[in-house]
Amino acid sequence: MAEDDSEWVIESIVGYLGSPEWVIPVTDFMENKCTVFDDEDENKLSYTEIHQQYKKLVEKLLENYMQEVGINEQQFLDACTSPFAKSKSLQSFFQPVLATDDFQMFRSLMVQKNMELQLQALRVIKERNGALPECLTDGVDVMTELQQQEMKILEEVLKKSKEEYDEEMSKRLLLEEDVASTSMGCSDRPEAEQREAQNTTSAHGQQSSTAKAKGEGNGDNSSSGHQTPLVNGNTATENNLVNSSPIRKEKKTAAPGGEDQKSAAKNCSSSKPTADCGSNSVESRLLPAVRAPVKSSEPSVSSSPHTKEQSSSTSQSAAEVWLEEAHREAGFSKPYTELSVSQQEQLQQRAAYLRQQRDKLQALKKEQQKTRQTTTPEEEPTPAPTANPTEMSAEERKKLQKRKHLADKLKEEVIKK
Amino acid sequence: MGEAQKGLLSVIEKLKGSTEQEVRIVLLGLDNAGKTTLLKSLASEDVNTITPTQGFNIKSVASHGMKLNVWDIGGQRKIRPFWKKYLENTDLLIYVIDSADKKRFEETGLELSELIDEENLKGVPVLIFANKQDLATASPASEIAVGLNLHTYRDREWQIQACSAVSGEGVQDGMNWICNNIVNKKK
Repeated sequence: MAEDDSEWVIESIVGYLGSPEWVIPVTDFMENKCTVFDDEDENKLSYTEIHQQYKKLVEKLLENYMQEVGINEQQFLDACTSPFAKSKSLQSFFQPVLATDDFQMFRSLMVQKNMELQLQALRVIKERNGALPECLTDGVDVMTELQQQEMKILEEVLKKSKEEYDEEMSKRLLLEEDVASTSMGCSDRPEAEQREAQNTTSAHGQQSSTAKAKGEGNGDNSSSGHQTPLVNGNTATENNLVNSSPIRKEKKTAAPGGEDQKSAAKNCSSSKPTADCGSNSVESRLLPAVRAPVKSSEPSVSSSPHTKEQSSSTSQSAAEVWLEEAHREAGFSKPYTELSVSQQEQLQQRAAYLRQQRDKLQALKKEQQKTRQTTTPEEEPTPAPTANPTEMSAEERKKLQKRKHLADKLKEEVIKK
Repeated sequence: MGEAQKGLLSVIEKLKGSTEQEVRIVLLGLDNAGKTTLLKSLASEDVNTITPTQGFNIKSVASHGMKLNVWDIGGQRKIRPFWKKYLENTDLLIYVIDSADKKRFEETGLELSELIDEENLKGVPVLIFANKQDLATASPASEIAVGLNLHTYRDREWQIQACSAVSGEGVQDGMNWICNNIVNKKK
């Protein structure tokens, strides 16, 4: 008899575990609580508290359900231990239930959820801005890939330099052979070599310049490879830094200092950012030093007019502003390995930013749940923010201000802890 | 806590349906006693990169056909109030003592006696590791046993085992005692 029972009981349970009555509260809980779950070996004490809360939630849900359907615990147990329930297709349904009793499983579910949300946030940022701000791409998670890329570049460079060297050697040999006979060749050669060198530089863009610096033994360049694949021209222009500094200063003072941050988030239309990447990246290096005074003096005086101006300005200048911001944030990435206070601050900013994005996602999800849309929640949040990123309503500006405030608060909290 | 609540959770517990017998072990002791080192040594992991535990660590170790889920919870004074939250359903307590830290014998004794009085640890066997025996200044296990008044424990199985978590000496003996004891108890 129990056998007969279990069939419909299990079907009903699985149905429940797939229904919004179960999925929404459980998913909500996970999304709200998952931020503290990281991939560290050591568990935080707060995990236990959250696990307890989770247990209570699942218990309450299951109890309500069992009461509603009219099955008792024994039936529930029988059903869940029946061979039918053990099939692989159903196991995933039971995972959130089993996680109440298995902290490790719970933890891995939460870590996974946290990761999903972060990736989602990154995707949203990417879709809105056309590219990721550098500060968000320089993390540990992409490190290995970047290192690989760096290695590739290094290899290519070594190959190139060997080629150049070989060529030079062969030329010299040639030169020695007919040193007496041709006087013309003698004067021509250096020029040719120079031209050749130039060609390589332009052909390989930043890669070869990175490489050259490395070849000459500039150790400080070792981390520049991390940026190379991500933002065009950043490393390439490193060498020109000194020359560009006056230009940079001019531009900076002309730029609407304190508003950068807001407009960075707002103005970036997805199409343009790469347009003046080259010129901007040259300047970016100097930003941290130059920016501070400008920022402190300007925002209070000119913040509102600037916002308006910017929202209506061309997307090109918007992109420029955004890039400045991105680069400013990324300014620390070069000596990334040695953590200084400012870098930690940057990291915290980054964390706050991610968190902010996550909160926004959640808010969106909640709204959408209210409107009872049937599409999956994962897919929904993306279209909304991308719908009209260039059109800046006053409301949106307000929202951004709020979010910024929230982020600041979060940061404060993090620092306090 | 209501009856029904307990009931449903225990139902879920049964759902796991693993064939292995699972044992929940809690690993406690003062800060710097060597709990995490011991845990890692049990799990055959590297013990050279251990930092003070701010939260807790969990390792599952297979031994004598059982799955030992060992929970190592940080021992710093500010974390100790949290110990209580991890004692429910514990099958065995391992208490670690830094045998060379004579100044804190009294403190560690107090913490242990508080644990022994915990409702959730009633009748739970306790294994005391007199750790850091590799240090020249370490007190012998027998001396520590006297200091802790272990002989007055009448309500549970107990054992004190000299060991060095760094070298691994004595650790296996302790584990053998655990397994024998759990097997006896669960039968």
